Amino acid sequence: MSTSNVVQRYKESDISSVLSENKPALLVLPGFLLWAAFMVVPMFYLSVLSLTNATQSGQNSLYSGSGTLLGVLPVGAADFVGLENYMDLLFTDSALQQGVINAFMSDPLSIFEFAFWNSMLVTWLFVAVSVFGKVVLGVGLSMVLTGNRVRGKRFFRGILIMPMGIPVIFSIVVWRAVFSSADFGLLNNLLLRAGLISESIGWLQDRWLAFGTYVVTEMWLAYPFMMLITVSALQNVNGELLDAAKVDGAGWFARFWHVVLPSIKRPVLFGTILTSAASFQQFLVPWIFNKGGPGTEPGKNALILVYAYREALVSPADYALGGAISIVMLVFLGGFMYVAVKRGNLAEEAGET
Amino acid sequence: MSQASDIARLLYEDIRHVALAPYRGAKEIRYTINGLQEGTIPPKKVAWTVVSTMAAFLVTAMLMFPIYWILTIALNPSGGVYTTSGVQLIPDTVSLREFAWVIGPITTPEAISISLPFIGKLFSIPVPGAIANKYVFNPAAFGVENIYTSGQIIQYGKNSAYVALWTVVIGMSVILPGAYGMSRRDFLGRKRLLYVYVLLTQVAGSLGVALLISLYALFNLLGFMDPGANTRFWLAVYYAGGAVPFNTWLLKTYMDGIPISYEEAAIVDGAPSWRIVYEVIIPLAKAGLATVFVFVFLAGWTEYIVAQTILGAGQYTLPVGVYALSPASPGFSVAWSKFAAFSLTFAVPLMLVYFFMQRYIQQGLSFGGMEG
Repeated sequence: MSTSNVVQRYKESDISSVLSENKPALLVLPGFLLWAAFMVVPMFYLSVLSLTNATQSGQNSLYSGSGTLLGVLPVGAADFVGLENYMDLLFTDSALQQGVINAFMSDPLSIFEFAFWNSMLVTWLFVAVSVFGKVVLGVGLSMVLTGNRVRGKRFFRGILIMPMGIPVIFSIVVWRAVFSSADFGLLNNLLLRAGLISESIGWLQDRWLAFGTYVVTEMWLAYPFMMLITVSALQNVNGELLDAAKVDGAGWFARFWHVVLPSIKRPVLFGTILTSAASFQQFLVPWIFNKGGPGTEPGKNALILVYAYREALVSPADYALGGAISIVMLVFLGGFMYVAVKRGNLAEEAGET
Repeated sequence: MSQASDIARLLYEDIRHVALAPYRGAKEIRYTINGLQEGTIPPKKVAWTVVSTMAAFLVTAMLMFPIYWILTIALNPSGGVYTTSGVQLIPDTVSLREFAWVIGPITTPEAISISLPFIGKLFSIPVPGAIANKYVFNPAAFGVENIYTSGQIIQYGKNSAYVALWTVVIGMSVILPGAYGMSRRDFLGRKRLLYVYVLLTQVAGSLGVALLISLYALFNLLGFMDPGANTRFWLAVYYAGGAVPFNTWLLKTYMDGIPISYEEAAIVDGAPSWRIVYEVIIPLAKAGLATVFVFVFLAGWTEYIVAQTILGAGQYTLPVGVYALSPASPGFSVAWSKFAAFSLTFAVPLMLVYFFMQRYIQQGLSFGGMEG
């Protein structure tokens, strides 16, 4: 009697109806769990590592010993050190033996001598410059390639999106050869032959020239994405509105500003946010070009991920500090995405109302 | 089978369209000249067409120049990147020697055998001695001197194919139901999850670098990287997981375009739900399925950083091999012309895939199907 009562109550309860109404979630769950297993779990483990003093080898090696944290997380011979790595990263630097706050008080610009803050500066600068370039190039190309009088539009577009299909590692090695400092480097070669320079320029040997080469390469890698988004947005511009504006005597610029721009604004903005996130996480370009900085100033151009990689996997491999850098980077990225999406009011674009 | 033939037909039409482009162009030019002579087409309009097409051509040529430059290097092994003669717009000598070096010697096998992962060799049939171990393709005929250093692309390609195939099998088996559920059913947190997926489209791939440390540590601790372990398989599982957000969302937007009345008709006729999916949804979403298939395949085929960190020397996939051979890598590297030929052999098929799939990719990235 009492058992059936429980069953009865369960059947009438909210839990049962919630479960049966949400049965379709079972279709989505396997994919979500697979993704979570390889994204969320490593992220969690990374944040745990960043609270220890784990290294690849040596006294605190992750792989020697069988220590665990909270009984389940393997941390090897490493010890829990709390927020020490983060404090080191943000406020002091063992190489300089000086606090960031003191340095900031005496000379605000001197905080960029600290590896982490220098990396932050370079990363944000890279995001700003390369995103501006990508958007201008992408939108400009789309305007040219949707022009009424261009013949073979689809053919040109097909050619122009091919960089998306080229394996990134290949493109980057090719661009490294383009910027090679020797005479045979494509850029040096063309400039020498045009008589614009008299001797080869070491593109990758100077800090800011190398930064410029990163930006150009990133633009080349990412313009197809912006171009595709803008082209399809341009194809959705209301032709009748354009005709009406033309009849009313609006010139090319007025039509662009008052009709075209408002209707492509949202897709382009969305693409810009996504491509900024991609710029923020650029790793291969600076790494393969010159390991994140010219030989004379190693690591000066290290974007945030290059900095984390240098600390974590180039000897002496410090997993904990590298983990802390990656976590700080993920926090910045998450914050950036959150603010951009909220301010851009893009939530409704994705159907979340 | 009809899906495959439909896709083949679409592809055939696209290729035909591209191949006949010169013919259509010639027709239009003749028509325009006629029109100009008869005065029915204003010359100003023609001038505009010529100027804007030229502008589009110039921009395209400039952006693609580095790739063309690499092609000229691959085709002209005697010159190569190290000569001071510099860039040649049209190489003075053209030879396929380096491409022959890339492919390497191909001989007939001594035995045909089939094996499966985790199970091992299924069977092995010896080939008669008269036709075993004979050259099918001998690079020496193209002037390749040391044929024994060549042909690594075959081994790298095999590794890549192994990883990419498992990525596709695992990925598609979770993406297809996921996309169907997102498109046709409602459940708690559906919109929120969809939104997360959309935001992750550009981020998911490169998150791998940020997580590289813990991925490496976890793979190590779980024994995925032990000498006897099947590292390539676990790498494929990782790629499949990373490919879920973007591709689920992409396929969902395609399925949204299929009118729901088809399904309703099938329900009225008494079809069970598996049959609705198999006979209504899949055939109507085939363009989307093909696109997603290609993206998931390429996720396994082209990824570099994680593969380079996780895989051991004998397990290199193509991207890792390309970098290992490149003059930019610190260790063993080959001449520029060999590297150029090797990486073009790897990249050109992918470039062609993107060229022909342009409109589907554009459809997928248009963000037009985000409502709902």
